[in-house]
Amino acid sequence: MSSGDGAGGASSPPLVVLEAITKRFPGVLANDAVDLELRPGEVHALIGENGAGKSTLMRVLYGMYPAEEGRIFVRGEEVKIVSPRDAIALGIGMVHQHFVLVDPFTVTENIILGDEQEAVLDMSAAEGRVAELADSYGFQIDPGRPVEELSVGEEQRVEILKALYRGVEILILDEPTAVLTPGETKDLFGNLRKLREAGKSIVFISHKLDEVLEIADRITVLRRGQVVGETRPAETSKPRLAEMMVGRPVLFRLEKPEHEVGGTVLRVTDLAGEGKLNGVSLEVRGGEILGVAGVEGNGQRELAESLIGLRKPASGTVALDGKEITGHSVEDVRNAGVAYIPEDRHEGGLVLDMTIWENAVLGRHDDAEFSGGLGVLFIRKIKELAQRLVETFDVRTRSIEVTASTLSGGNQQKLILARELETDPKLLIAAQPTRGLDVGAIEFVWKEILEQKAAGRAVLLISAELDEIYALSDRIVTLYEGRITGEFPPDAAPEDVGVGMLGGAKREVG
Amino acid sequence: MAVEGTVAPVPATRVRSDRLERIVGQGLALLLSMLIALGLGSILIVGFGENPAEVYSKIFKGSLGTADGLGYVFAIATPLIFSALAVAVCFKGGMFNIGVEGQYIVGMVTAAWAALSLDFLPAVLLVPAIMIAALLGGMAWAAIAGVLKVKTGAHEVVTTIMLNQIAISLLAWAINYPLKFKEAPPGQNVDLRTDLFPDEAFVGDIGQYFGVTPGAHLSWLLFVAIAAAIIVWFLLRRTRLGYEARAVGSSPGTARAGGISIGGTQLRLFLISGALAGMVGMQQLIADKGYLGAAYVTYLGFTGIAVAFLGQNNPIGIIFAAILWGILSRGEVALQIGSEVPREFVIILQGILILSVVITYQVAKRRLLARQLQRAGAAGALEDSAALDESPGPSGPEDAGAEAFAPSDRREG
Repeated sequence: MSSGDGAGGASSPPLVVLEAITKRFPGVLANDAVDLELRPGEVHALIGENGAGKSTLMRVLYGMYPAEEGRIFVRGEEVKIVSPRDAIALGIGMVHQHFVLVDPFTVTENIILGDEQEAVLDMSAAEGRVAELADSYGFQIDPGRPVEELSVGEEQRVEILKALYRGVEILILDEPTAVLTPGETKDLFGNLRKLREAGKSIVFISHKLDEVLEIADRITVLRRGQVVGETRPAETSKPRLAEMMVGRPVLFRLEKPEHEVGGTVLRVTDLAGEGKLNGVSLEVRGGEILGVAGVEGNGQRELAESLIGLRKPASGTVALDGKEITGHSVEDVRNAGVAYIPEDRHEGGLVLDMTIWENAVLGRHDDAEFSGGLGVLFIRKIKELAQRLVETFDVRTRSIEVTASTLSGGNQQKLILARELETDPKLLIAAQPTRGLDVGAIEFVWKEILEQKAAGRAVLLISAELDEIYALSDRIVTLYEGRITGEFPPDAAPEDVGVGMLGGAKREVG
Repeated sequence: MAVEGTVAPVPATRVRSDRLERIVGQGLALLLSMLIALGLGSILIVGFGENPAEVYSKIFKGSLGTADGLGYVFAIATPLIFSALAVAVCFKGGMFNIGVEGQYIVGMVTAAWAALSLDFLPAVLLVPAIMIAALLGGMAWAAIAGVLKVKTGAHEVVTTIMLNQIAISLLAWAINYPLKFKEAPPGQNVDLRTDLFPDEAFVGDIGQYFGVTPGAHLSWLLFVAIAAAIIVWFLLRRTRLGYEARAVGSSPGTARAGGISIGGTQLRLFLISGALAGMVGMQQLIADKGYLGAAYVTYLGFTGIAVAFLGQNNPIGIIFAAILWGILSRGEVALQIGSEVPREFVIILQGILILSVVITYQVAKRRLLARQLQRAGAAGALEDSAALDESPGPSGPEDAGAEAFAPSDRREG
């Protein structure tokens, strides 16, 4: 957690000053008189929960949104930035979460796009310039490769190089690590340190506190559109940052409740299919949380979807309480007592266009309790259910008549949890249950999952976040290329688990 | 401004106000879009050197000024209600049934067959029998596209376009061979057609009760169409099938994870759509002409797509959209007399109207969502719901992870 004060001492004059920036959206004050200073050669982390106004503030600086009030100074002069083009001319670049690249084009073609120097392009010269630029900041990239062949981490490098190619001095990165594997994050941080040495000023938007503490020189915390504080990694800690973000203390290590481990609830034997699962065997018992750790893309999605019945495995068996349910339909698996929190809330968990009460009954809408023999829904019964779920799980909403799209991410996840746990399942399959949630919501979800264990249910937790695996699991297995590569006790060293996540090879874990 | 703490117990009045706001908002959007369309139309009229006020009053007097005019309006609306409902049912399930045209043509063939071969039945049985034959004909034709989609994944737009062509040939064959008239009608150069249906096949005229000329052919079918719209509304909003259809239509992944069979739902929707399409031809067959001929009214299936859009695929909205369509179509006739503006102007106006409705509704929907988000109290919901984001679709920052880990998916999108 070495931060270093970097070159950006308090003495150097600020590169950018945002003064009392106020930005409203219809009815919402997204930024409320926000002040911010960026100095040359610093990594400035902008942190806050979803919707705290971090991205909005930076979009104002990048000329994507006009601010209602406030002034912007760049290198001491007041400027008006009304478009990203203006921002780039002033040396301000931004890399968004969603990349804007032309897939069939090469790295170089993408980088020079819109900034071509001559009418007849000299590609090899351009490639030389790009290679030189990449080398100078330690970016590993082949300038001649088409973007469609690149990994997500490499695409991100292209986006950053695109900004640097245009002579950007101030680089804004919007949640850059959200899309990266741990190894890629490490590479990115290496690049950022080089950029900092070269005197660039970097804004690092994030809500991952460990990363912020590792890379930032200064940290500004936003909450509900206002700056609640500015600090330095050396002066603060993860719990203190979390408290600033959320407005109350947050527990990072929850008390794991004790529960007697019962009989085997889920037994998976040699499950294989679609090239992504190559013979997975595991067991989950009642009153136990089994954590499946692994880098994304090693068969996690396929495992969860095969268990719930969304995919038909090519071979192997799945048994619930000793009864085989291999290849059964989702409806049958659910009726057998399996609850499912999908990794994608919007294409798996909720129908965003439908109301909260309609979402509350999904999967149970054909129970005799909620619809009759002729297929007529019992609306009143369903609304009673929805009201009860919203109340017991504290889903913050105005009413159950609004669409699920009006809920924040955390509240959407609460609604899914409420619906899934209402049925008193034997087994809960939780796939990436806290993805994209902020600290407060993560705490809530974790507590609920531990609650299931305390009630004697079996929980299969599939997560790419090692933190989460450690916080909840009673046993840990690692999934690598569709195989279980190791089993670990909950107090195993993270390094050992990391080795399992990479297939057991003796490699350093990022 | 942001709300702290729970607001879980919601008073009933507030729930009602949410719904009221939605309805009022949509009403205003519709009104606004009509004004925009009329405004743009005015520019065209001025271009023809005429006075917009005069031209519009001619159109509306022609259709709304007299009982006869109104009778025509509703008679025009009747088949369009069925046709638009057929489109809307599939649309709610995420499918585009372009085959209503072919389905109603096949429905007319089976209906004509029933009318001619069951001529021994009394009216009270024959009329329902004809309608059932039409329903089954449309359903059978739709089933082909539905099964192809569910079993082989063939896209319904492609298959239904082809099936439309086949249906036209099927009708031609039917009136050339099995259903060709046995006694030639009087006069020369008569079109190919079937024999006249028995009198018992005609559905009762209701124009007489409102002082409408029999020439308008305003019949009980209007009420059948309105009843069909109400049934479709109930089906979509209050039944399991409708619920599953809407879930499949707006988020297939979620529907599947909820245990809903996508293929089964879509096939059932296609059958219902086909049945509704089968009713489209009834107005001309058993309220108007009394035979099936080569000169049947075409394009009702395609116009139904426009009317469904105009009614925003809402069954009740479709009733009003079809009537509005009828008003303009009837006004077209009035425009031919004493005006420099060509009658095609009405078609342009109908087009502008659809565009402005679609656009205004989208704007209204976004504003409504923004207002609800604002009151949801969480500024957070705003940023991650993408309501005001420039990126389309319901993906927020929090989705970036999920998307980026599956780069191949992202590229397809």
